[in-house]
Amino acid sequence: MKKYMTLFLFLILLILPIIVYEDKDSRYEKLSKSLLCPVCQGETLYDSPSEYADDMRSVLKEQIDNGLSDEQIMDYWTARFGERINTNPQDTNLLLIILPIIFSFVFGYLFYRKVRNE
Amino acid sequence: MISSIGIVLSWIGFVNLATLIFSKKKNLFQTLVRVNLYIHFLLFCLLEIGLFLDDFSIYYIANHSATSTPPLYKFASLWGSLDGSILLWNFVLSIYFYLYVKYYRATTELYDIKIFAFIILFFNGFTIFSSSPFAGCIQLASLGCQDFTLLPFQDLVISDAGRGPNPLLQNHPLMAIHPPVLYLGYVGLVLPFVVATSELFNKYKDENWIKIAEKATYFPWVFLTAGISLGAAWSYEVLGWGGYWAWDPVENVSFIPWLLATAFLHSSKTQIKERTLINWNYVLACLMFLSVIFGTFITRSGVLISVHAFSNGNIGTYLLIGLLAFTSLFIFIGINNVEYFKSSKKVKNLFGRSGFFVANNIILSASALIVLIGTVYPIFYESFFERQLTMGRSFYDILVGPLLLILVYLMTFSTKVTKVNLNLKKWIIQNQNEINITLVISIISTVYFKASYKFVFAIFGSVLLSVIILKNIITRLKRTKLQGTYWTGQVSHLGIGIFTIGLILNVTQSFSNELIISAGDTVNFGDKNFTILSPYEEIKQEKNVINLPIEFDSKEKNASLNIFKNSSQQAISSPAVFRSIESDTYITIKVIDDDKFKLIFRENYGIFILWLGLATSSASFLTRVKK
Repeated sequence: MKKYMTLFLFLILLILPIIVYEDKDSRYEKLSKSLLCPVCQGETLYDSPSEYADDMRSVLKEQIDNGLSDEQIMDYWTARFGERINTNPQDTNLLLIILPIIFSFVFGYLFYRKVRNE
Repeated sequence: MISSIGIVLSWIGFVNLATLIFSKKKNLFQTLVRVNLYIHFLLFCLLEIGLFLDDFSIYYIANHSATSTPPLYKFASLWGSLDGSILLWNFVLSIYFYLYVKYYRATTELYDIKIFAFIILFFNGFTIFSSSPFAGCIQLASLGCQDFTLLPFQDLVISDAGRGPNPLLQNHPLMAIHPPVLYLGYVGLVLPFVVATSELFNKYKDENWIKIAEKATYFPWVFLTAGISLGAAWSYEVLGWGGYWAWDPVENVSFIPWLLATAFLHSSKTQIKERTLINWNYVLACLMFLSVIFGTFITRSGVLISVHAFSNGNIGTYLLIGLLAFTSLFIFIGINNVEYFKSSKKVKNLFGRSGFFVANNIILSASALIVLIGTVYPIFYESFFERQLTMGRSFYDILVGPLLLILVYLMTFSTKVTKVNLNLKKWIIQNQNEINITLVISIISTVYFKASYKFVFAIFGSVLLSVIILKNIITRLKRTKLQGTYWTGQVSHLGIGIFTIGLILNVTQSFSNELIISAGDTVNFGDKNFTILSPYEEIKQEKNVINLPIEFDSKEKNASLNIFKNSSQQAISSPAVFRSIESDTYITIKVIDDDKFKLIFRENYGIFILWLGLATSSASFLTRVKK
C-alpha cells in the first residue's frame, strides 16, 4: 500500500510543474541581470545602486517599451561598451559551457579508472 | 616611533624564523616557535595601538584610517587593506604554527618545523622587503600619504588627518569579524600541506600523516565555512543589492579551497579505514594550500577587477615566486614517494563507502575546476584577444549548480554508509515514510510557489536530505551522545540540506520593483502596505546619514543613505529590512531627487532558512569538542 502511495505521489510531482509553472522574471529583470554596470566593480545593472546604472536602467526600460528584441538590445549595449558588458558570454559562445563539461568528464573518468578495481 | 619599533620587530621576527630553519638543535624549536608567536602578536597590537593613537606618520594608517573613524572600524582597519592584512595573515600563520607544535605534531624529525618556518618567513619577508604596514611616511599627499620608507629611524612627515577606510568597510560591524574568521580558515589550510610534505619528506614511514592531516584540516574548514557565511551576511546587509553571493573572483578563490577541503575531509576517511586513494589524498592535502596561494595571487596582483580588490605593485611577482617554490616542493616529495602511492588499494564497492567518497571527490573537484576556469578565463581572454570579458552568475549556475545538487542527493545516503554495496530497494523500503513526507512537502510547495522543474529537483533532494538526517538524529539521540566524526558529518549535511532549501527558494521566488515616492505615501508591494514617514538627517563625526523611516506592521525601520566625509566615493545605501521566516522585504534608497525618493523594494525569499543552514553546518564542530 505504502509502495503505491510513494509511486502515486512521485508521478504527481513529476507532472506538476507543467500545470502550475509560471515564469515570474520579466524581460526587464532578465536583461538587467545580464548587463554589467560598466562603472561598478563586477555588479550587474539589476544589482547596482549607482546613479549611472540607474540611468542605464531607464534606457533599458525604454527599449523594452519600444518593442526592441533581446538581440537588438544586447547589440546596442555591446556596441557602446564592448563585449564585457554582457555577463552571459556563454550564450554566444557555447564552447564556454561545453569545454568545462568535457574537462570534468575526462577528469572524472580518469579518476574512476585509476581507483577502480579492474 | 611606532613605525621604527614595528620595522625593527619585523626584522627580529625574520631572524628568529631563519634560526628555526637553519638550527639543528632539536630542543630549541619549541621556544623559538613561541617567540615567533609573541613577536607577531606584538606586531598586531602595535599596529592597533598606532591606529587608535592616530599615528599618521605611518603610511598605512594615514591612508586607511582617520581621526573621525569610529573605534570599531579603527580596529578593523588593520585588515582593511593589503599591507595590514598581510600582518593579520602572518599572525594567523604564527598561531597555527604554535597550535601545530602543541597539538598535532607527531614526529621527531625537524622537517615540519623547517617547512612551516619557511612559509612564515616567506610572508614575513614581504612585509620587510616590499611593503610594510609600519612603513613611515616621507612624502605627504593632499589627503593621506604618498611615499614611504621601509627603514627605521628616519625623519618622517605627519599628515594632519588620515584618508579613512573605504566607506564600504566602515558601514557594518561584521567587518570586524568576517575577515579574521575567514583568514583563520583560509590560512589554516597551511596545516595539511605542512603535515603531508614533512611526513613524506624522507619517504613513507607510516600511515600516521593522513590522520593528523585530517584532524588539522577540520578546524580551518569550520572557520572557512563560517568566514564565507559571514561574508555572505555582510554582503547582504551592506552592499544594498539584497544578494549574498556574486561569483566574484575573490569569493571564488575562497570557495575553491573550501571545495577541495570538503573533498579531503571525505577522501581521507577512506584512506584511514580502507587504505584507498592514498596518492589522491597527498595531492589534495597540498592542493588546498596551493590554491590558497594561487587565489591570493590572482586577486591581489591586480589582474582582476573585484569588489574586494586591493593590490600593490610587487605582491603579484612575490606570490608567484612563492607559488612556484611550494609547488616544486609538492612535486619533488610526490616523485620521491611513487612506490608508496602505488601501494594504494583499489576501490571495490562502487555503492559502498569508498565508492560514495570517490563520487563525492569527483564532483567536488570538478566543481573546483569549473570555478577555477570561470575565474581565470577572463584573464586569458584579455591577454590573447585584448578584449575584456565578464563571467556572470549564470555560467556558474548552469555548471556548478547541478553538480552540487547531485551531491545533495548523494548525501541522503550518508546516514548509514557501509563498506559493502548499498541495496537501493531496501533503502527505499526502510525510508518509505520519510520519502512520502518529502513528496507531500514538495507537491505542496510546488503548487504554492507555481514552481518549475529546477525547483522540484532541488526541493525534493534538499527536503529529503533534511528529513532523513533529522530522523536519524532524533532516533539515535536517545541511545548515543552526538559525538565523533560521524555526527560532525551528519550535522554538516543537515545544515547543507536546510541551506539548499533556502537557496532554491531565494533563487526562484524573489522579486523586486522600483518605486518613486515622497514622504507620507503608502506603498503597496507584494500584497503588503508600507507607509513612508518623514526623512531626517543625522550628522555624525565620520558621515552624514539621511534616514527615511518606513513603517510596516507597526514596526518602523530606516532605509538610509550614508555620505562619508573624507571620501570621494558615492553615497552608500543601507537597507531597511523587514524579516520573516519565509521572506525578507528589503528596501533601499536608490536616488534622492528634491523631496522624491527612488526606492527599490525586494522580496527576498528563503534568507532566514539559508542562514539557519549555514549556521548549522558551522556548528557541526560542537560534536568534535571533547567533554
